Amino acid sequence: MDLLEFARGPALQFAALVLVAGTIWRIVGIVLLKKKPDYSEPRGPGGLGAALKVIYTRAFTAPPFKQATLYPKIMAYVMHIGLFATIFLFTPHIVFFEGWTGFDWPGLPNSVIFFIGVATVVSGFALIIRRMTSPVLKLISNFDDYFSWFVTMLPLITGLLIPVRAFFRYEDLMAIHILSVALLLIWLPFGKLGHTFLVFITRGTTGMVFERRGAKT
Amino acid sequence: MSQGDEIPVQVEAMHGNVRPILNEVMHALDKLLEAGITTTIDLASLPFAPGELDELEATFGKGELSAKLDALGTSRIRETTYPGVWWIEHRNAHDEVVGRYLEVTRLPDILSSQDADIMAGRARLGEQFE
Amino acid sequence: MKYTPTVGEILQAKGVSRRGFLKYCATTASLLALPPSMIPRIAEAIENARRPSVIWLSFQECTGCTESLTRSASPTVEGLIFDAISLDYHHTLQAAAGEQAEAARHAAMEENDGNYLVLVDGSIPMGNPGYSTIAGISNYDMLMDTVKGAAAVVAIGSCAAFGGLPGANPNPTGAVAVQDLVKDKPVINVPGCPPIPMVMTAVLTQFLTFGKIPDLDKHGRPLAFFGNTIHDRCYRRPFYEQGKFAESFDDEGAKAGWCLYKLGCKGPTTYNACATVKWNSGTSFPIESGHPCLGCSEPRFWDKGGFYQPLSTGHFGSGATVAGAAAAGVALGVVAAAAGRRRQNKFTKEA
Repeated sequence: MDLLEFARGPALQFAALVLVAGTIWRIVGIVLLKKKPDYSEPRGPGGLGAALKVIYTRAFTAPPFKQATLYPKIMAYVMHIGLFATIFLFTPHIVFFEGWTGFDWPGLPNSVIFFIGVATVVSGFALIIRRMTSPVLKLISNFDDYFSWFVTMLPLITGLLIPVRAFFRYEDLMAIHILSVALLLIWLPFGKLGHTFLVFITRGTTGMVFERRGAKT
Repeated sequence: MSQGDEIPVQVEAMHGNVRPILNEVMHALDKLLEAGITTTIDLASLPFAPGELDELEATFGKGELSAKLDALGTSRIRETTYPGVWWIEHRNAHDEVVGRYLEVTRLPDILSSQDADIMAGRARLGEQFE
Repeated sequence: MKYTPTVGEILQAKGVSRRGFLKYCATTASLLALPPSMIPRIAEAIENARRPSVIWLSFQECTGCTESLTRSASPTVEGLIFDAISLDYHHTLQAAAGEQAEAARHAAMEENDGNYLVLVDGSIPMGNPGYSTIAGISNYDMLMDTVKGAAAVVAIGSCAAFGGLPGANPNPTGAVAVQDLVKDKPVINVPGCPPIPMVMTAVLTQFLTFGKIPDLDKHGRPLAFFGNTIHDRCYRRPFYEQGKFAESFDDEGAKAGWCLYKLGCKGPTTYNACATVKWNSGTSFPIESGHPCLGCSEPRFWDKGGFYQPLSTGHFGSGATVAGAAAAGVALGVVAAAAGRRRQNKFTKEA
């Protein structure tokens, strides 16, 4: 079995299983925790509606903070939208998902994806430099922050290398790309990258609690 | 629709192999005029989409001079509408194309009488004389 | 010592004019993917090359490689090459049979000791010597005996190069490739199922005229023909880049000649010359005819997922294993929640 077969086969399989187990572990572990009883009078319904509303409204910065957070916000949006596009709108990836889910959807031309990918990498580096130089962020950042950034950037950069090729063989670059994806999938449920699925739970919970207390959501 | 060549070929997109070749030929003509250098382009080494080779041949067209060589099959050597640019097509004894070249030169080497053949012919003539 | 004429002398004797010879050299340069500027050097090399001996051994094969070679692109060139080489032993093509044939093989080996070329098609069964024999001699014995005095061995076709179809799962005969057995002689692999005839001939010509092994890649394949992937030379590549894919055979995209990646094309991971040299005198190749590349020049291509499964198909294991992982997640989550709740209770009690 050569490296590419290993990457596409056992490595990805193992990573997928760890992803499934880890994600369910974290969600179940959080959802089953005791909810602190709120003895105050409910000033709002605090139900699912509130949860969904806050998941949506948290995407927009509250007015007092808009100016201060404009730059990181733009960089983060470029990175997240770029990640979405490069992962889900690139045809060979769509074919991969189709094999798994049975659905397929139209993709963007390869040159557009490449451009988006480069923009995503640039925004990612802009953000990590900010993290390393800002006095506040420098203090509060830990291994989880840096490692999560690393495992996200690695598939992006190795993926961009494939069309660039340089002196490497397609199979070797592809194997490294797929192995880096496997690494990402394995780490995802456990560190701060878990925000991928946890963000909805946390925002939703915040919304429910705050609305019940009558706070503006 | 039984014959392969009866299926109409729809040329969807020109992959632009024609333009780079025209450019290469232009530079080759410059080298020929300046320094007498011959340039040969092996058309078999370039990937052509269906229809592109015909487009290339049509672009170069037929010039004043054309020659037919019968050696191990027929070969056609003709000057194109651009003097100095020759289209050479080699076919084997079964009339299959085995080579296609664009040669930028004053006279393709294969048109000249070759020394080995001249010597062999001279020997034959000598025998006739006796 | 028998006088061996040069190829140049043989051609002259056949009445081939110098012009004809130049035409032959030009075609050969094209075949070997050498630039036209190399033609004078090729002419010189061919003219002075000695007439070598070639022994062809056929083992567990379908004879497709021999068929491909004898249906070659330009029969005149092939005819010249085969006239120029001395094909002293070939099961399918030779007239002799039985003991006479074996005697001819041994005579050729003795006369040309150290200089003959051994061509092999078909894989060699190691499970039981009786699976494939010729004149009562097992393939393994014949191979090891014949290569003793060889200058080089050329494994023709994917079976000889990598084990091929006999070597595919579950490999009932224990089929192995030539390179798995021959360790002390140079082995050139010319894989493909079958290989492109022009490529086979060009490799032979290259060895016979220049007398040396061409540059090989890590699978022992000549870089001149196996140095690029089909994907990197495919004329449909612009469609791949534009995201225009055929979704099924005979749909609008397929009719318009769009990329066949989604239909299982193995072009990106397959090294061969099909996209440039093509088949049937440069007529077409599988992708141009509308069928995705099978990857037939790669090792174990029969066992690499399906021919119609796209390359980027994921292999996640069965639904059962995923369900198992989910169950494990639930279990771990419950344990974690239980521990969390205990801690929560402790804090509330303490408060």
